[in-house]
Amino acid sequence: MSENAKIVIVDDETHIRSLLEQTLEDLEGEPEILVAVNGAEGLALIEREHPKLVFLDVMMPLMNGYEVCAAVRKNAVLTDITIVMLTAKGQESDRVRGLEVGAHRFVTKPFDPDEILDLAREILGRS
Amino acid sequence: MIKAEHYLKPAWARRQFELALPLLPPGTGVALQLGGKRLVEMNEAGHDLIEGAPDVQAFPLMLEGERVGTLLLRLPAGGETAQAQTWGDLLAHVLQGMLEAEHGRRSVARETLESYREMALLQRAVTELNHFLKPTAVAASLLKEFDGRKDAADYGAVFLRNPDSASLELIQSFGENAADAFSRLQGSRLFAEMTVRETGDIVNDLPASPLWAGEVADFRALLWLPLIAHGENLGLLVLASRHSDGFAAGDLKRAQTLSSVAATALRNAQLYAAEQDMFQSFVRVIATAIDAKSPYTAGHCRRVPEIALMIADMAHQADSGPFADFVLDEDERNTLQIAAMLHDCGKVVTPEWVVDKATKLDCIENRIHLIAMRFEVLRRDAEIDLYRALAEGKDQEAARRICQERLRQLDEDFAFLEKCNRGAEFTSDEHVARIQNIARNTWHNSCGEELPLLTENEIYNLSVQRGTLNPEERKIIEDHAVHTINMLSQISFPRSLRNVTEYAAGHHERMDGRGYPRGLKRDQLSVPARIVAIADIFEALTAPDRPYRKPGTLNWAIGIMHRMKLDNHIDGELFDLFLSEKIYSTYAQKHLAAEQIDEVDIARYLD
Repeated sequence: MSENAKIVIVDDETHIRSLLEQTLEDLEGEPEILVAVNGAEGLALIEREHPKLVFLDVMMPLMNGYEVCAAVRKNAVLTDITIVMLTAKGQESDRVRGLEVGAHRFVTKPFDPDEILDLAREILGRS
Repeated sequence: MIKAEHYLKPAWARRQFELALPLLPPGTGVALQLGGKRLVEMNEAGHDLIEGAPDVQAFPLMLEGERVGTLLLRLPAGGETAQAQTWGDLLAHVLQGMLEAEHGRRSVARETLESYREMALLQRAVTELNHFLKPTAVAASLLKEFDGRKDAADYGAVFLRNPDSASLELIQSFGENAADAFSRLQGSRLFAEMTVRETGDIVNDLPASPLWAGEVADFRALLWLPLIAHGENLGLLVLASRHSDGFAAGDLKRAQTLSSVAATALRNAQLYAAEQDMFQSFVRVIATAIDAKSPYTAGHCRRVPEIALMIADMAHQADSGPFADFVLDEDERNTLQIAAMLHDCGKVVTPEWVVDKATKLDCIENRIHLIAMRFEVLRRDAEIDLYRALAEGKDQEAARRICQERLRQLDEDFAFLEKCNRGAEFTSDEHVARIQNIARNTWHNSCGEELPLLTENEIYNLSVQRGTLNPEERKIIEDHAVHTINMLSQISFPRSLRNVTEYAAGHHERMDGRGYPRGLKRDQLSVPARIVAIADIFEALTAPDRPYRKPGTLNWAIGIMHRMKLDNHIDGELFDLFLSEKIYSTYAQKHLAAEQIDEVDIARYLD
């Protein structure tokens, strides 16, 4: 696992944030985990901290997940960020839209902690 | 283990200290140590802030009786120790409260995450395990959940109870030499114990178990669970580890979750298999009934599927030629087999006397004997004429000649009629004229009435030009194909077998559309339907006993089929495959008598 890898969690729901955070604390190498509570704050955090991995909720106030994702993708400096979108709806159209704006993966809520850990290991393990 | 360093955010603790420090004498230093890490330190005076150093007071932070951190406080020189104690107690109390609240929240969160895990596992297991309709496939899918996981078992097996003998049979396993290891496990006293228990358990120090005699050296820990669905104990899931203490309560719980789903899926698979078996046995009963109806078609419904499947399998395997794209999946194969078994089911309603009509004059019994009797009457009439002429003193020589001539004529005519009656040869128009001619003879019955030698019905039947069936009877026979369709279309086949009727009903159709009952053409018939037609013909031609002829040889049968190909009666491409893959030969070795098997020069028939 690479040094100083950062993970950003952007979700307006407190329990999802803390459940994700608690799950990711089990990662080897203890990457730094940063959280934001809405889309606008999330985008600012991503631009400032340049994490390797972002968990991004779809439905959020101020700026939804698609908008944040699209904004990150437009930023030429942030091309190496992997974005995993979280959605409570399992609709195929959501997935398609997410992939269109540049998300890499989709995870439905409630998430499987093991799937999240495997995903994070896979992404952070890539050089 | 409690990871307290994650419980408080450094920024939050820093803010706490920033709010507290103005209340303390200037130069006071504070630090927070959690889980062996220094989370925050505010120490402008720069003195050592370590536990045990002079002037430093330590306030332990506890969670569940375990010391997880320390608040360190150092007042500037001249400060009062008692005051430091008071401030420290207050700060530590607040931190302690935060830690406890966070600890509580986290244990709830941990429970939630566990539920998420279980939910995800169930969701996946339900989808995956219920995907299969075969018990072995369900068992394999269940074991896959344990095989290759880093925390998991080195060995795994699923045993299923044989419903008849109640004994457990190993149906699926993984691990090094698993089959051997588990068969030795089956011989252990522990296994006997496992089979009677209604709940699962873990044995973590296997060598210490009194029921274990080291049957499998590699097994150090075991986890087992009965597979129970609807109150029925279906079998056993067994996991084994090379390490003592290989299994924890969490493993058992996970296995329980999966097993509950797997047991239901296994039961469904067993029910499905039982349904399939029952259906297959019904099909066999019908096929046997059709075959038993006539001694001449014995085994036909059993052998046609065999030939049909041989052809279909070869077509499936072909990776070039006209059948390169032909695919026969398991359902389709099953469908073809059932269709071929049932292709003649309409014959159940065909009268036996038509099915078995061996001669043209057959009608429940063969009426040739009636005709023979009439000929005998005429013969005697001729002899009576002779003796009457002799008695009347007429020319003896002439009278004898007339009588002999008459008898010769009668014998010839009867021999001719007998030959016609067998229907082995084509009956030409001249033959028909001769039959009519013979019929003009008359005889006298017991009432003295003068009657024609042959009745209208006898003339009609004897005049049949090919075979023994008159047009009405042929229609009755052909109707069996209609009855087949009518009967099969009343069966509500499952989706996987929905083509049975189409495959079964097309066996008398011809590629040129001149077949029956529907007059379908080649492109209106599926490949399997065309296969059944070829299988039906080949079986009929080589069948050991048919009413109208001796068993045919391979050469003879294939010669006829080749003409049928040229006539656009049977599918030429399938016939070629039948020859080139030597399907006729494979079948002949298995089913035909030695005298039927002759060398076939297939090059003659392949273009």
